[in-house]
Amino acid sequence: MKNLYLFIVVLFIPWSFTVAKYDEFEDGDDIMEYDDNDFAEFEDVSEDAVTESPQRIITTEDDEEEATVELEGQDENQEDFDDADTQEGDAESEPYDDEEFEGYEEKPDASHSKSKDPITIVNVPAHLQNSWESYYMEILMVTGLLAYIMNYIIGKNKNNRLAHAWFNTHRELLESNFALVGDDGTNKEATSTGKLNQENEHIYNLWCSGRVCCEGMLIQLKFLKRQDLLNVLARMMRPASDQVQIKVTMNDEDMDTYVFAVGTRKALVRLQKEMQDLSEFCSDKPKSGAKYGLPDSLAILSEMGEVTEGMMDAKMIHFLTHYADKIESVQFSDQFSGPKLMQEEGQLTKLPETKKTLLFTFNVPGSGNTSPKDMESLLPLMSMVIYSIDKAKKFRLNREGKQKADKNRARVEENFLKLTHVQRQEAAQSRREEKKRAEKERIMNEEDPEKQRRLEEAALRREQKKLEKKQMKMKQIKVKAM
Amino acid sequence: MVPPPTPPRYKPPATETNPALEDPTPDYMNLLGMVFSMCGLMLKLKWCAWIAVYCSFISFANSRSSEDTKQMMSSFMLSISAVVMSYLQNPQPMSPPW
Repeated sequence: MKNLYLFIVVLFIPWSFTVAKYDEFEDGDDIMEYDDNDFAEFEDVSEDAVTESPQRIITTEDDEEEATVELEGQDENQEDFDDADTQEGDAESEPYDDEEFEGYEEKPDASHSKSKDPITIVNVPAHLQNSWESYYMEILMVTGLLAYIMNYIIGKNKNNRLAHAWFNTHRELLESNFALVGDDGTNKEATSTGKLNQENEHIYNLWCSGRVCCEGMLIQLKFLKRQDLLNVLARMMRPASDQVQIKVTMNDEDMDTYVFAVGTRKALVRLQKEMQDLSEFCSDKPKSGAKYGLPDSLAILSEMGEVTEGMMDAKMIHFLTHYADKIESVQFSDQFSGPKLMQEEGQLTKLPETKKTLLFTFNVPGSGNTSPKDMESLLPLMSMVIYSIDKAKKFRLNREGKQKADKNRARVEENFLKLTHVQRQEAAQSRREEKKRAEKERIMNEEDPEKQRRLEEAALRREQKKLEKKQMKMKQIKVKAM
Repeated sequence: MVPPPTPPRYKPPATETNPALEDPTPDYMNLLGMVFSMCGLMLKLKWCAWIAVYCSFISFANSRSSEDTKQMMSSFMLSISAVVMSYLQNPQPMSPPW
């Protein structure tokens, strides 16, 4: 009997324990405590039983309770678990607080919002990247600069070669006609340097002198700006030619008084606007030279018909006809003073200085694509220049022509004086005032009172005389008017 | 025996007495180069500094041989310094305007 009672008690105790634990598990809070306190003595035996049974209870009946994922042989129960529960089960094996899972319901929302609000990855700044490709603008700039430098060297050398080719071709002719070929003005003695003066990378000068009837001849080789890439690109749009400008300064006694020009129509229209002498003395429009057998491209500007007749002799016509494509303009003028000066009216009190000049402008063939060989074709034009110098010396106007020319010059001077009358008056007035002031100062500075008195009296007397003269003149004018 | 007279000497062409006839390109380019250099330095604009370098090159190419080399060199150095300073302050590559 006693044994039976013992056996029943032994059975009853675990049963009571399980009922109690079930109650406790309904709260779900003190799992760990429960494990520590109640199952400590049943560690080995009851652990599996205890752990299994409450988990079974949990898994089957309480989905909301935490459960371990490390259950074995409980696949049929995992369907009841949400994903959250399994994650929580993972966490259960570690000592986490419940507070860590406060916002746990939001986690599914967080995973959705990830797709709405992606992480923006900022690009690495370009200069920190190890690639030269990001500096493509700089590479372009440097390439452009290198291209400019290359063009500068090539253009400069080409211009230099063209200049020396021209000089080598013309040297003989020049040296046979002029004593001094090549002078830069720096040497004390007038000796031929035999070299061109380089003013620019595209302008070369040559001074020739020492010939009868002309003071000197300045030749300017005005090439295109081949050394400047911008100019090269501009010339692709608008072609231009190299030019040779020759300015012969005649002696006063070796040229008569006339103004005459021949050249392309376009050039003559431009010169007539720009040049002082052509605008004043050749007021008519450029006339066609067909009358003298010149090609249509050339026109004539002349002060009077006699000059044209005198200039257009057979040889001149031959030169102009054969080399018409190379001739830009030819100007003979005894009143040459350069282009019109844009001065203020107050400054212009005197006529600009004039010189007897022959001007020639030739275009180098090739229209920009010139080669050194083309310079040989300019040699006959230099012969034309020499011939023109001699022609200008020989040509003399007849009496009528001379009178007409003198009249024209007087007319121009009178017009100029009229225009500047007011300015000249003002200038004279200011000069008079200056004189008076200087005299007064002299009197004041005189220390001797006696001398001072005498000087003052003399000045007074002079002024009185002037006044009397003026009055006399006025009276005479009045009498004449009456 | 009377010695022959010395022939008249070379005189520089009228362009030096009449400034209107001179080519103004090198002077304009020099001035532009300096203006762009200052803009590049003050406003830290890389493209200004590069244009200044180009302007000083163009001015040099068009200059007369009688022109002062010191001015050319100073303009050139100023533009180079503008480029260098722009990149030292901001090593990022230049972005095109488009």
